[in-house]
Amino acid sequence: MNLKQIILSPVFPLWMALVLFALTFGLSLLQFRATRRRLSLAKSLGLFSLRGATLVLLILFALNPTRVERREVALSPTLAVLLDTSPGMGLPGREGRGTRLEEARALLLEGPDPVLKGLAEKFNVRLYQLGDPLRALKTEDLPGLEPKETRGDLRAALSQLSGSVNAVLLVSDGTLLGDESFPPGLPVFSLPLGQPDKYRDILIKTVKAPSLAFQGREAEMDVTIKGHGYPGLRIPVTLRDGQKLLRAKDVRLDEKTGEGTVSLSFVPEEPGLHTLSVSVPSQLGESLTSNNATSLSLRVVRDKTRVLMITGTPSLGYRYLRMALKSDPSIDLLSFVILRLPSNILNVPLQDQSLIPLPVETLFTKELKDFDLIVFDNFTPGLFFKPQFLDPLREFIKRGGAFAVLGGPGFSGEGGYAGTALEEILPVRWAAKESYRRSTSYGVRLSRAGKTHPVTRLSPAEGNGRGLWQELPPLEGINPVRPKSSGTVLLESSEENSWPVLTVGSYGKGRVLVLATDDLWKWYMGMAAQGKGTRAYFQLIERMVRWLTQDPSLETVQVHYPEAAALIGEEMELRVQVLEERSQGKVPAISASVRTSEGAGVPSQLRPSGRDGEYLLSFRPEKPGWYKWRIETRAGSREESMLISGSRTGRDGFPNHELLKRISASSGGKTLSGKDELLKELRSYGESVQNRFVEESRDPIWSTPYVLALVLTFMALEWYLRRRWGLI
Amino acid sequence: MISRRGFLSLALALAGEALLAGPKFGRCASPPQFFFAQIKYRGGEWDPNPQFVEPIVEELELRTSIKALSERRTAGLDDPEFFFFPFLYLAGRYEFEPFTVKERETLRRFLNHGGFLFAEDTAGTKGFGFDRSFQREVREIFPRNPLRRLPPDHSVYRSFYLLDNVAGRQKVNPFLEGVTVENWTPVIYSQNDLSGAWSRDRSGRWVHECRPGGETQRSAAFKAGINIIVYSLTSDYKKDLVHHPFIQRRQNR
Repeated sequence: MNLKQIILSPVFPLWMALVLFALTFGLSLLQFRATRRRLSLAKSLGLFSLRGATLVLLILFALNPTRVERREVALSPTLAVLLDTSPGMGLPGREGRGTRLEEARALLLEGPDPVLKGLAEKFNVRLYQLGDPLRALKTEDLPGLEPKETRGDLRAALSQLSGSVNAVLLVSDGTLLGDESFPPGLPVFSLPLGQPDKYRDILIKTVKAPSLAFQGREAEMDVTIKGHGYPGLRIPVTLRDGQKLLRAKDVRLDEKTGEGTVSLSFVPEEPGLHTLSVSVPSQLGESLTSNNATSLSLRVVRDKTRVLMITGTPSLGYRYLRMALKSDPSIDLLSFVILRLPSNILNVPLQDQSLIPLPVETLFTKELKDFDLIVFDNFTPGLFFKPQFLDPLREFIKRGGAFAVLGGPGFSGEGGYAGTALEEILPVRWAAKESYRRSTSYGVRLSRAGKTHPVTRLSPAEGNGRGLWQELPPLEGINPVRPKSSGTVLLESSEENSWPVLTVGSYGKGRVLVLATDDLWKWYMGMAAQGKGTRAYFQLIERMVRWLTQDPSLETVQVHYPEAAALIGEEMELRVQVLEERSQGKVPAISASVRTSEGAGVPSQLRPSGRDGEYLLSFRPEKPGWYKWRIETRAGSREESMLISGSRTGRDGFPNHELLKRISASSGGKTLSGKDELLKELRSYGESVQNRFVEESRDPIWSTPYVLALVLTFMALEWYLRRRWGLI
Repeated sequence: MISRRGFLSLALALAGEALLAGPKFGRCASPPQFFFAQIKYRGGEWDPNPQFVEPIVEELELRTSIKALSERRTAGLDDPEFFFFPFLYLAGRYEFEPFTVKERETLRRFLNHGGFLFAEDTAGTKGFGFDRSFQREVREIFPRNPLRRLPPDHSVYRSFYLLDNVAGRQKVNPFLEGVTVENWTPVIYSQNDLSGAWSRDRSGRWVHECRPGGETQRSAAFKAGINIIVYSLTSDYKKDLVHHPFIQRRQNR
């Protein structure tokens, strides 16, 4: 033991110890003198020595002498090895070395000096798969590792590792998600894979296309083609709707950037949801051909809502309805009024009258598809055409068309709609022997469903419509009908045994409406008579048309899509607006589900956005394909689907070594070209950052039971001798 | 000449007046959608042709798909049901007292909201009598939309029959006049005494002779009447593009 290793750590100040020592010595001397009178010198000295030794031991015990031992310890730094499994890692690596992932695997595990083994000499190595999410690996996991559908997110991975590792070795081809914004103090060393100078590929880099287009109006999209290894190439870009070729145009790839942009314009002919595809032909020597085509969904809507109205007889109902429809610039109205019945007698030759024949065959066999809404206004079809002409109408509605029947004497069961295709389509059935009653005054009121339905939920300017319906003049003519199970009554007569006045329903993909009266015009003139605004009449007509034609702006549930295209593996967030009226302050009940085209459920989350009636529906598409979401509320539901094709950007498999260089440079790391350089640089780095520290151990000398036993032994021996020598 | 319906009516009249009469307002709470509502005003003579309704309604139902009431309704401008009248009819020979401010306001609101008025100067005296009073009221009600001759391509000339001239009991103007607001003509005015040509007594005889055209002119008066009624219920329907080729082809013959 070296005395330099001994330090004192007194439990009380040193001066106090010295005073105690002096006092002890003095008291021992006094005791010596007292015992000397009764005992011999030797015995007195013996007792004095024992007492003195005991007290000295106790005082030294309070000084707490401690033996301190120091030694230097060195600790290995921690290195995270991130092995990228982005889709690009499945592409060919350096010549003869298989895929880039196989190339990485060989570097890490194989050869006379495997990288992982070499690094373990200087580092505490932790192996991770850079996918989504970051996943810890064992060495034995490496042989079974495959490239994933999603690109690894380097920034997220480094944020996760920050603070727990000293450095990162990134083994990647550079096709990952990443930029130069990282947590500070974490150097990234990169080992690039693949051969940029040998890589040849043509891909669709971006497609800038509208998500909505109008039928018959030119739509345009910009397509950017990127080429690696094909400078100056002229290549045709084709746009198809299914198998139908819409447009083809050549684009020349720039000599320097390798890019070329072309605008493809086309005129959508059919409304609906279309899946368009953009493609370029494969070139000789291309590494990847799957990125030569991409698809996108485009919703085509009509420029104007085309309405075909057939009216059974000239009437004020027709004139006011015509006025309302004509005043709406978004509606294109074609109407036919039956001016003459077969029973009427004409007293003039053809050239003296303006009557035209109702073009039944043309309308119902050829042109029906050109309309969005068909209206039968107080019209008995059986008087003018054979029932088989109603079959195309049924198909039209089944495929998503809209159909409205406005009542009156012409809207009759027997001899009218009964037994025809329309009886099946309508959401009502006749409830009385007579088809039309014109004798009593019928007030109207909103049904329970009508209070929240978009058709009858008028604007706040009309006090949400609640009081409005009571102010309206009574109806004098009504068709006594009852709703079918498929029908929803929105307005009903206000008498005790109420009759449905306005009933809506659906048939196939289409929507159907029955207004069981021909007195709707009185609601317009009734308000005018009271000197009040007549906007409610126009609004009701407008909302009927928009609801029937499934105008998205009138849906109870509206879905707004993000501007950026959805990407596989990345969260997609839809903004859902619920226009349902809150009842007594209760939050509207809402639920949502997301499914793939195969019907498999996709985990999703629906949460309030913080704005009134607005929610955020988020889910993560894991693979390309159609995704369908359904949102349900008390007042209605909405189901939509969308093709998520990975992205509107083709997958670029070009080994992006420049990105890796930038990442390493900005983080304080280095880009390493091969195994030897990697081991050399990292070993050197490991040396420089090796953690060294001094370990200190303290051994209190007096805090042992032997010292205490010695004190007790001295005291016991003194007591024994005193007793033996007759002092006690 | 007496029509088949006229003959039947006459026979029924002889059998008993109670059986002849059509549904009356007092017995029917709600009339069919078309009926004449004749305005009673102060001063002058508000009902120069009391027997015009039945013949024109008969003709209307015989030729067109319109179902109408063969009884007219008479009302003042303060009638609470005023706004639900499909076809206001105002006729007279002589000057009448000016409408009150409230009456003018009611009539203006009615006509500006899609109501329809057919007015007739049965005397046909330009600048005098009924014409003078009516012109005054039109100026008060529509200060920015004067009464003008309706152009030959106006929908009222082609709403049912293709008409190239208009005549009634007399032929003062071979055309109709009207007040047009945008695409709608809420007021149509005639000085040819159409209702005089339509009028028939209970024995089935025409009340007035039509001059100078005789029965051809009476037939033209009925056609004009039907066109005015159809126009009041269909507006400018015949201006729709789908009708153009048909009408043009027939007019060119």
